Amino acid sequence: MQPLLRVERLYKTFRKSKEQVYALKEISLQIARGECLGVVGESGSGKSTLGKVILALERPDSGEVWLDDVPLLQLKGAALREQRQHVQVVFQDPNASLNSKMPIWRSIMEPLDNFPDVMPPFLSGKRTDRIGLAAQLLELVGLPLDHLARYPHELSGGQRQRVAIARGISLNPKLLVCDEPTSSLDVSVQAQILQLLKSLKQTLGMSYLFISHDIASVQYMSDRMIVMKDGEMIDEFASSELTHQDRHIYTKLLVEAAS
Amino acid sequence: MPQIMDKETTHMEKAQQENAASPLVAVEAPVLEVSQLQIFTRQEKQQRPLVHGVSFVIPRGETLALVGESGSGKSVTASAVLGLMSGSLGISNGEIRFRGDNVLDWPNKKRRGLRGREIGFIFQNYQESFTPFITVGKQMNETLRSHEKLTRRQAKVHALEWLEQVGLPAERVYSSYPFQLSGGQLQRAAIAGAMMLQPSLLIADEPTTALDVLSGEKVLDVLASLQKRTGCAVLLISHDLRHVVKRASTIAVMKDGHIVELDTAEHILYHCHHEYTQQLLNARPYIT
Repeated sequence: MQPLLRVERLYKTFRKSKEQVYALKEISLQIARGECLGVVGESGSGKSTLGKVILALERPDSGEVWLDDVPLLQLKGAALREQRQHVQVVFQDPNASLNSKMPIWRSIMEPLDNFPDVMPPFLSGKRTDRIGLAAQLLELVGLPLDHLARYPHELSGGQRQRVAIARGISLNPKLLVCDEPTSSLDVSVQAQILQLLKSLKQTLGMSYLFISHDIASVQYMSDRMIVMKDGEMIDEFASSELTHQDRHIYTKLLVEAAS
Repeated sequence: MPQIMDKETTHMEKAQQENAASPLVAVEAPVLEVSQLQIFTRQEKQQRPLVHGVSFVIPRGETLALVGESGSGKSVTASAVLGLMSGSLGISNGEIRFRGDNVLDWPNKKRRGLRGREIGFIFQNYQESFTPFITVGKQMNETLRSHEKLTRRQAKVHALEWLEQVGLPAERVYSSYPFQLSGGQLQRAAIAGAMMLQPSLLIADEPTTALDVLSGEKVLDVLASLQKRTGCAVLLISHDLRHVVKRASTIAVMKDGHIVELDTAEHILYHCHHEYTQQLLNARPYIT
């Protein structure tokens, strides 16, 4: 079967004083339908740049990203905008992704408002009943309904991240990019968010690109993992084989530091 | 080298003087002893308790980790020890004894003398440990010279030595501006800056939370080796119990302003009693 996402030979350089630094160096990968691919790496390894290129928020120097045989990087204007419903994102900092002057229900409904023709299969009722739809989304991420009318500052960090997730899944995207979704949260809250993402993946059958520097949570979340360092993909394996003998030495270092 | 020798003698002298002053005290008082500390916040003339009677002791050379979620009161407790609580907070009861003396009875000016010299501190936000437009070296130099009578050149030798001790390319870091260093490097420079005054207590508030796993480990390694060398006590604050359990001798788990469990790291790891401690231990997934 065709993979959902194909990334082919991505290159991206940044200029740092006089040197050229590779953020992405010959990155090729695939994500199957319903699969979660985990990306591990330290800051500056290029893992977030990879996420942004797949979201078509950043242009690579060369290479191509195919989503269901649509070349994402060739798209422009209305076609690109139309394509965006299929790849959604949850960022690290929910404070920065929610508008502090909007009540929660309006933040959640923004994507559905932008795509009035989309009706995700896991929602029911009238498409015009915006509060009703927002309420269902809120329920999916385990928040009480009285949060609909609240503002971001009235919620805790974990609750805000749940709102960001509700918005991320609202268009029933083919791929959800999670870029360090738990890094700004307390450990106990981190666990709850990971559980939520994992159960959503099962119930909704979504595919994930899960990016984090925390190797244990990446293993917990994903079916397959890649390890990035200085823009290069230095290791790739099934998540169950993280502690195998033949891992790259750098992967072993990361495992050691985390256990 | 002579400076270091100098330092050791003054430290020894200090210790001797203390012993002479109280010949009956055979056992050295712990570096920090917090007992029944209660902290409240003022909101529109109403007092709401934040920390309810927290007690712990840190002897010389040991590390106590204060662990809890945001809002548990761990950072507030640390700021009370430092004497740097924000204006809306107050202490309603309890004692903070530093080497036997209750510092809450001290006037502000005297407490200020403790900070830096006797109590060093490093924070989660390493960017704010240094002024952005002055080189790291110049700032370390100034700090040293504000605490000790040294010439600029002497202070530089001293600062370079401490930068080397935290595993940094000393000369380069000395002449760098903060933004020219990576997060891990900057945090290690902050450790050098705090430890070069040879404090008896170092307060490290989430020192690795903003860092990568590998650079974070390096920071904790450096901290441990310097602690071994100088014998200072460390109050380590973190939200991640698993991360600090191998780095501390004693763990105090805080929740909603109470210490719910206080025990040796080994006991916490293998035989903890409190459900909440168990919950924190198992919060993050394990590598399998």
